[in-house]
Amino acid sequence: MVPLSWYLILAAALFSIGLYGLLARRNLVMLLMSLELLLNAVNINLIAFSRYLEEGQVVGRVFALFVYVIAAAETALGLAIMIAVWRTRQTVAVDEIDTLKG
Amino acid sequence: MTLGFGQIAFLVIAALTVAAALAMVLARHIFHAILLMIAVFVGVAALYVLLGVSFMAGMQLFIYVGGVSVLAVLAIMVTRGFMGDRPRPARSTYGAAVVAASVFGGLTWLILQVPWPSEPLVPAPQNDLAVLGQVLVSRAGYAVPFELASLLLFVVLLGALYIARER
Repeated sequence: MVPLSWYLILAAALFSIGLYGLLARRNLVMLLMSLELLLNAVNINLIAFSRYLEEGQVVGRVFALFVYVIAAAETALGLAIMIAVWRTRQTVAVDEIDTLKG
Repeated sequence: MTLGFGQIAFLVIAALTVAAALAMVLARHIFHAILLMIAVFVGVAALYVLLGVSFMAGMQLFIYVGGVSVLAVLAIMVTRGFMGDRPRPARSTYGAAVVAASVFGGLTWLILQVPWPSEPLVPAPQNDLAVLGQVLVSRAGYAVPFELASLLLFVVLLGALYIARER
């Protein structure tokens, strides 16, 4: 079988890649997609822990399902905000959306 | 050390997933990034199959490949004309790469400090969806968070409709 640490390192790699996308990209869609990468990495961890360390094999999956709910909500709301920003500002580059900047 | 089938499958899937994720965050074109994101999601679903939790793999395909990706494609269709992404100044990209690499290095170091088990505690459960469903809706389990999650989704989707409506 695959050792648990392999899954954890893979999840860490996906998390770091998502973090890079979050910090380095300017497009709002890219930021949301990088966030999805982060949530996926967390889900891999939850399910791998549940599979390797949990007697009942249920709690990790329940938490992963809740992460799915949050991810869907975050995507829907983020893309709606993106469309609204596009209508008013004609841009989705995060560093050009600076109306609140002092 | 000889590699079993599961280990080889894991290494292949992991390499493809990480490569797709890297290509996604580096892609110039937003639409290419979305296609690569779908590849990452499919790779993660394959990992769930490898872990023996095929229900989560199905959910991954339904919600991410079926839902989130379609949402993202629709969103870039609405914001036509902003398909590309001008790069940030190189200085901040280097900074992001340094931060991400050090997070990865730190996490890997921490993970390797712990003697993790190399075998699952119990064999992969067969057809235990009923157990999962009962835990989700029983009062001793997660009934309240479950209902709160459905309320959250309802409110968020209404709010998204309101925010994105034509004025």
